[in-house]
This record gives sequence, C-alpha cells and structure tokens, in this order.
Amino acid sequence: MQPTSQTGTEAAAPSTILVPLDGSIQATAALPVAKGLADLEEATLRMIHVGTRHFPPHEVLRNLNLTPDQLAGSVLDQLSGPAGVGIVDQAREQRSRAIVMCVHTGMDKPKGALGSIAREVLLNAACPVVLVQPERGLLPWRLRHVLVPHDGTPTSSAAVGRAADLARRGQAELIVLHVATECCPGETGTFAAPRYLDQPQHEWSTWAQEFLRRAQVLGEAPSDVPMRVFLARGEAGQAIVDFATRGNSDLIALAWRGVLEPDRAATAQMVLKHAPCPIIIYRVAPPASEVPEASLGPARGW
Amino acid sequence: MWTGAYRSAAPTDIVANGDRSAHNMHMYTTPEGEDGGARREDHGDGWSPAFLAPTREPGWCLVEEGYSRAREHEIESLFTVANGYIGTRGSLSEGGSMTNPATFVAGVFVSNPEPDSVPGLLSIPDWTDLQVFVERTRLSLEQGCLLGHRRILDLRQGLLWREWRHRDPVGRVTRLWSLRLASLGDRHLLLQTTIVTPENYAGRVQIEARLGPLHNGLPWTVPPSMDPGDSSDSIVMQTTTGRGETIALAIAGEAGVGHMAGPAHAVERLDESILERWTCEVPFGESLRMTRIVSVHSSRETERPSLAARRRLAEAREQGIPRVIRMHVERWNDRWGAAGLEILGDDEAQRALRFAAYHLISAANPEDERTSVGARALTGDSYKGHVFWDTEIYVLPFYTLTDPATARALLMYRYRTLPSARRKARRLGYDGALYAWESTDTGEETTPPVAVTPEGEVVRILTGEQEHHISADVAYAVWQYWQATGDEAFLVQAGAEMLIESARFWASRAHLESDGRHHIRRVIGPDEYHETVDDNAYTNVMAQWNLRRGVDVVRLLQSRWPQEWAAAAGRLLFRAEEPEAWLRTADSIETGFDPHTRLFEQFHGYFGLEEIDLPKQRPPAIDVWLGRERLQRSKPIKQADVVAISALLWDQFPREVHEANFRYYEPRTAHGSSLSPALHAMVAARLGDAPLAEAYFRQAAEIDLANNMGNAAGGVHIAALGGLWQAAVFGMAGMRLRESGLAFAPHVPATWRRFSFSIQWRGRRLRVTVGRDPSHIEVHLLADAPMEVELIDGPRAVIHPGTRFRAERDHRQWRAWEKTEA
Repeated sequence: MQPTSQTGTEAAAPSTILVPLDGSIQATAALPVAKGLADLEEATLRMIHVGTRHFPPHEVLRNLNLTPDQLAGSVLDQLSGPAGVGIVDQAREQRSRAIVMCVHTGMDKPKGALGSIAREVLLNAACPVVLVQPERGLLPWRLRHVLVPHDGTPTSSAAVGRAADLARRGQAELIVLHVATECCPGETGTFAAPRYLDQPQHEWSTWAQEFLRRAQVLGEAPSDVPMRVFLARGEAGQAIVDFATRGNSDLIALAWRGVLEPDRAATAQMVLKHAPCPIIIYRVAPPASEVPEASLGPARGW
Repeated sequence: MWTGAYRSAAPTDIVANGDRSAHNMHMYTTPEGEDGGARREDHGDGWSPAFLAPTREPGWCLVEEGYSRAREHEIESLFTVANGYIGTRGSLSEGGSMTNPATFVAGVFVSNPEPDSVPGLLSIPDWTDLQVFVERTRLSLEQGCLLGHRRILDLRQGLLWREWRHRDPVGRVTRLWSLRLASLGDRHLLLQTTIVTPENYAGRVQIEARLGPLHNGLPWTVPPSMDPGDSSDSIVMQTTTGRGETIALAIAGEAGVGHMAGPAHAVERLDESILERWTCEVPFGESLRMTRIVSVHSSRETERPSLAARRRLAEAREQGIPRVIRMHVERWNDRWGAAGLEILGDDEAQRALRFAAYHLISAANPEDERTSVGARALTGDSYKGHVFWDTEIYVLPFYTLTDPATARALLMYRYRTLPSARRKARRLGYDGALYAWESTDTGEETTPPVAVTPEGEVVRILTGEQEHHISADVAYAVWQYWQATGDEAFLVQAGAEMLIESARFWASRAHLESDGRHHIRRVIGPDEYHETVDDNAYTNVMAQWNLRRGVDVVRLLQSRWPQEWAAAAGRLLFRAEEPEAWLRTADSIETGFDPHTRLFEQFHGYFGLEEIDLPKQRPPAIDVWLGRERLQRSKPIKQADVVAISALLWDQFPREVHEANFRYYEPRTAHGSSLSPALHAMVAARLGDAPLAEAYFRQAAEIDLANNMGNAAGGVHIAALGGLWQAAVFGMAGMRLRESGLAFAPHVPATWRRFSFSIQWRGRRLRVTVGRDPSHIEVHLLADAPMEVELIDGPRAVIHPGTRFRAERDHRQWRAWEKTEA
C-alpha cells in the first residue's frame, strides 16, 4: 500500500469511517456503530479485510459474514499484508474520521480483553479508534448520550471538543464525568475535584461552571452543545463504567495519552474491559504550551 | 487629549543607564515633593520612565510568564487590582477564549429574581476592554506569533504590569506595555495605560475600547444631558440596582503619539455599549500611548453619583495622569510602611506573605462603614460577595494590628447590621443579636437554602439556621480591636452594644437542664461536616467567653463612662441583674472538657464516632469521596474547631490542654476548608512544632498560589490569606496582646533566618524581628509613648519611642532585654 500524493482534489475527498473485518461473526458487531457514526459524520462506510487470502467477489460476503444489506451504500476492499499495519495505513491514506472495530474477535477471549490487532491499531492509528464489544451483536446503534470522563487535566479536555462535535451532529446529550480520586494530577492548569469546599452552597455551582468552561474552551468544543458535569467518586475506571451503565450511555469518549501499560493506564484498561457501550478513543498529547517563542528579557519600564 | 512626548527608545536607555530599582525604592521612602531623582528624569510631562517601572526585587512581584488558557481564571483572580471600594480582575484587555473580566463595587449587591436565589455582588461594565489593530489585524494572544508575554503583579506599588510582544503573519512585531491600577490615593479612580510600539514597521494603529454591555441584567444608561461626545470629553453611564442604589461611572481616554498631534478619536453608540476608537499613523520608532481613566461613585456617597463621577474624573485629568499614579504609589508605600513583612531565608514564604498582605490591603476600605470583606474580596464572583465569620476571625486581625481605621470600619459594618442580627435572633426565638451566617448590604440572612451537588443531589443548607458561633466571633473581634487599639470612642459608641447584644443572645440560647448545666443544642460548629450537634466545644467556649466579656464591658462602661453607660443602658433596656445571670450561665455552660484527659469533646457524642484514617496524599475534600452521610457518622472534621479554641483563646487554658487537643484533633482534621491550614500552622508554631507549622504554612500559601488546583478561579481566599498572616505573626513570632503591651513566644521555622513585620499597638508603630542563630527578638518602637514587651515565660522590659530592644535565647532560656542602638 503506497501512500497517495496529496493534491487539492484529495483534500476535498469525502471522509470515511473504516471498519476492519476478519471474517468472524464477532467483527461484524462493529458495523451498526460504524454505520451510525458514518451517518453522523456524513462519511462513507469503508470496510476492509486485510489478510493473506483474497476472496473472489462471489465468496466475499459469505467469508466475511456479511449480508448484502450490510454492504449497501458502503465500500469493501480487500488488502493483503499484516492486519494491524494495513488498517492503520488505510485509515491514514483515506483520512478516515475513525476506525471502528471490535475489542477482539476471538471466541475464547474474555469479555473486554483487548485483542492483538485492536491493540496494534490503537497504539498506531492517527485517527480516533472506536472499540465495540462483540457481545453487542448487530443491535442498531444510535447516539443519544455521550459520556466524556475527564480527570481535570487540560490534556483531557481534547476529548470534550471532539465528543461535543459528535453530540451536536447526533443531537445527543453530552455529559462530562469527573471522578474524584485521592490524588490530584500534577499537570499545570489542572482543575480537579476541589480540595477545599468551604461552603458547598457556593462552591459546587462555581466549580461545575468552571469545570465545564475549561473543558469547553480548552477542548475547543462548539459553544452551542449543552453539557452537564457530574462528579463521581471511587476508583476511576469502575466509576466511569457504573455511570455509563446507569446513564444508558451510547458512547464513552476517552482522551488517551497513548500508553497501555497496566500501571499507567489503569482507568483506560478498566473502561475497555467493562464498558457497557462502545468507546471512542481520542489520542491526545499534552496541549502545546502557549509559551512565547522568544524571551522578553528582564522586566523593564517604558 | 494628552499629547505628551514619549519615545520607544526610552526603555533601553533606562536599562543601560543604571539601577532603576534603587531609584524606585528611593522614591518610595521620600516624601512627596522631595523626590529629586524622579523629577530630574522627568520628560516634562510627568511621565518619568524611572517612576514608571515595575519593582525590581523579585520578592515584591508575582510574575506570570507566557500564556496558559487553562490557568487564566486563576491568574485573573490573583492579579486583581483593588482598593476596598472597587476591584478589577486581572483579565486581558483584549480578551481571550477564557477571559472573564469583572469589576466589583464593594457592598453593592443586586437581587436575583429566581426562587431560592440570594443577592450577589454587582459587576459594572468592563472598562478595561481594549482592542489594538495594526493595519486592520487585531492583536491577540491566541492568534499570530507570541514572541513574549509577561504579567507582573507589583505588590509594592499596587500595579498590574503587562508586557507583550507579538508578530503578525506578515512579520510586523509590536510591543505592548500596560499598567492597571485601582487607586489607593483616591478610591473612586481606576486607570489603565497601554503603550503600543511598532518595533520594525511604521503604520496605522487603531485602538478600540468598548464600554458595556449589560451586566447582571441591569441596564446601564447614559444619564440625560450626558450624551457621549459632549463637551466634557467623557462618557458617563449609570444604573440603579433593585436594592435602591445608583452606581455611575465616568470614563475618558487620553491618547498621544510622541510629539505629534493626538490620534483621531471617534465615539460610536451601539445598542448596549459605547465604542471609542483612536486611529493614527505611528512613525517608526514612536509609540502610541493610550490611557483610560475611570471614576466610579454610588448613591451611598452622593445624591448625584453621575455628576460626582464626572467631576472627579475631570479633577483627576486636571491633576494629570502621572500625578494620579504617583499618589496611588505613595499610598501603597504608606500601607507597606505600616504592614511591611520580610523573611530572610525563605523567598517563597516571603512572597506568599506579601501576596497575602497585598490582597488584604486591597480588600477593605477604612472610609466606608457600610461594607465588609466578602469571602473572595473583590477578586471574583464566587460566594457572591457574601460576608462570613471569616472576616472577623481570619481577616480582621491584620487590619486591627496594621490599619486600625480599616478594622474599625469593618466592625462598624457589624454595628450597622445589628438591627438585622436582632431580628434574626427574635425570629428564632432568642434575645440579643444573632448575626447572619452570610451577610450582604443589609445584614439580613442570605445563606442559600439549598445546594445542588455535581452528583445531582439537592442538599439542604443548614448553616444559615444553625451556625451561631458567628455572634461570638464578632464579639471576639470587637474585644480584640479594643485591646489592640484602646479606641474608647468605638467601644462606647458601638463595640459595647455588640458585646452586650451577643452576650444576651447566648444567655437566651443556652438552656439550663436537669444536670445543672447550660447546654447549647442543635448547632453547627466550624466543623460543618457534623450538623445539628449538641454542645459544640468551639461554640460553647466562645459563648462562655462572650458572656464574660459582656459583663466586663458593662462594668467598664459603668465605671469609666457612667454618663454614656446610662444612655446606652436606657437605649438597650438593660436590666441590672443581667450581668450576674450571664456569669452564672457562663460558669455552667457545658464545654465538653475532661480534666483527666485534658480533651474537649468536639460535640456531644463525637468520641463515639467511627475512626477513619485520612489519606496522606493530597485528596479532594473528604466530603467528596466519603459522602456526607458517612462523614456525619465518623470522626474526620472539616477544619480547626477545638484547635480554633487554642488559636483564639490560648491564654485561657494551660499549654498542656492545647497540646493534648492539638495532638488529638490534628490527625483527624481533613482540612476540607481553606481556613484550616493557617490556624493549624499558628497553633503548631505556638506548641513549638516548627516542622509541622511550616508544612501547614506552605499548605495555606498554596491555596491560591499552587498552579495545579484551580482553587482561585472564582477569587482569592481572603480568609486563608488573613490566616497566613496570623500564622506568621501570632504563630511563628508568637505575638499576643497584653493590657500593658505585647508578649512574644517566637518559634521560627528552620528555613526562616529572620522574620520582620510592622504592627501597631494602641497608636504606637513597631517593627518586630524574630530570628535564629542565635534565637533572638528585636522590637523597635518607632513613635508615641513607652510600652511593655514581654517574652512568654521570660523577661519583660519597658521600651521607649525611638529605641530598639533585643533579647536572645540561650538554649531554652531567654536572657534579659537589652537596648541596642536605634
């Protein structure tokens, strides 16, 4: 797969939602979610099969466990090569808005376990990755409630803006959830659950307003999307899963710093394993510091 | 229009020419009219470059380099300029995606028509708004290239400085300098000057300044016959709050470019605001200077605030803007002379203390007895400007001991709101006066009845009904002020009445029960995690203290001012048997003190609650992660409660009692209130636990200054700042008030080589220094009459004006005071 040259006509090319399929029935669980997202994004659904076998046209649907209805209005490509690399490369070449795939497609995998291909895609994809639990099957998917867990850091706010954009397209409700934990992130500009709650009748409304304003501005979220913030307590991953379950969330939007080691991404791991709904993962880096290009030198008069 | 000369080369010249900071410092210590240095460098228009420079010493400046949207709201609060009458947040003039500008007028509230809502502090139209366009490109920190950006809160001079270099997409580099102040020389004046210097181009520069639009839902209108563009060359706007006050502001802009004629000026009236525009071609090497000056008046001071505002503005312009700035800086110099603080060996602690003092000086107005200091002072809209016990217990001691006139004004606010306090007591079935837990302009109770938590839970708020210790707190502040100042007129005319009415409240609030003890049931103490408790130790001990001081003040007035007492007694319908009854009640109030363990039980049943180990890390407030219900059933407490008894009434109990209670309650205190760390620092220091005192001092300092908590977004925590000052003066220096002078028990942290502070005691100004290696104390009595100084468990001395006395500690023993050279 060669990267295509960037031309003016390509810049205007329609966007795609990429769905990798491996021939398993589990992989097709990603399709309803991908279809829903493609509708929201006004994107074309593009299914790909990356593998060693290239199926002839009359065998494709059967071998990929697809029905003609599922393929209607979509594009299906078959590519050869290693699956993880192929998916990531395709997404980049197509400038896909997202890759939608199952957390795993193995029959023997425990619920929520991250499969090797999904892991490779997650670690290397430049676009958001939507992970779907195979257990949800082919139930239709519609976006009504988006949940954005937020640890209070400016970095986390990146997910808010992008999730808000999705919520607006779907006219969905956006809820930002902050879980109060025992330690406060050290990132400069963090605004977490208050350490001091002098008078709750004043602090809570101020805190909620400030939390949302920061999330909205730092995440560059559209201002016309109504948001609400909720506070939960306890272990962050479990609290997010519980809240999503109680609130019938259709999508959890996670800001992810690109680390999957168990000791550094416990919350993301927990949510991946136990989320009751699909998860869209936005890879984020700490915000580029708005540090001046040059120093002013010592303070002077005029 | 101001058209004075200014060349952009000047800053470079200044730096090259020598030591501006020395010049600055010289100016501060030279009386007006004798500042030869500053005048020699004057450019003829009063804008001396040496005069207009940030204080050089880092210990006097809070500096924010760069620009972080995430921290912008905190920076706005921290960098507020205020003078007790009016305060303006340190927002960016040109605005940004996180900008939240606000200017508050102390004591002016607006009612909110929504159900269960309470009055909030009025915010006037944003007078700081200023857009700079270079060849039609608007300069913004969020567009183009940021070459440099720095904000300096100049604590010494009370100025907010800003320096910014910007490169636009075609390479034009523009430097902007600005300063902003809320005048301490004339509290009705605000001023902002901006200098725009094209560094590598000549071109068209346009400045747009908008006044408006609506704030708080109140329409701001131009008064009749004061249309914009009239001959007065100023714009006047006014509004009337639903609470009957009219506020007016007058604003004028003055712009100039070097020796050229002033820029073209246009005024445009928009739907909800007024837009002024100045445009000119700025030659290479020149600068455009733009000053906006504002005068604010309210109907509290004058019948025609709009006229007063315009007149004052005209007077200020007649004086000249440099003169306005000069007067402001000189007043700050005076205030620092009375409240100066220096720590050698710990720059961070010194900066935190000066930052605290800066905001304390900025928060209150000695000329206004109708206002007090709200929980966030004039730095933010959180807490809606409401006044709590914080003012009397945490904030007021700073004023009492550095600026008694301000302390008096704040106490007079409580005196003026005494009728409301009487009404609240009657409403709840008691005698005397029960102050509002949250107070605004009238003194009526304004605590919101409910809160909605971010968990979606609607919580009933009981503090307005049950947190009664505030009446004793006000009485405590009255007595402390009397002790420190000897202000007889205040005591006779106002203070005594507050002490008597609060004593009457406690006499009716405490009930004699079958066990022969007086109990105070169903209250909330400072530890607000435990509501509706019986016999809260802090409440009861303070009530007991209040009853006894009530008796003291009656006897004092009877003996020293019998005529005035006769009048007061008649006015208060005083009954001769009341003092005896108060003493009997005080003597039998249940305080929960066990002489065997030396512990106070914080409230009846506290010792039987569940023990919970508090996390050692820096958690969110414990009620967030433990939940209110669990908290009610367990021992973790919100803030100093029994420890507050030690902080306020140290001399009433033996040291062993303080030690026992501190060691018991300190590990159980979650410090969920910003008030808590400072009092713990104070008591730990008095107990000689310097490391713990230092740790709590740093925690208190971080409340507003840490960069990863966002605590200060809604305004600075003025009570925590007042507590920090007390921790240093009453804790580290161990100062206590005595009838004949001052006593000290210094316990200086290991990192503080020397700690000096200025205070006033009964009209005398003193400079006190405590230090280590060897441990020593030095007291310099600057003027007035002799007084006594004492070391706790050590020698005393009578010191005379103009003398310094020093004592040193040899191991654990203080040697005698010795006179040193003045």
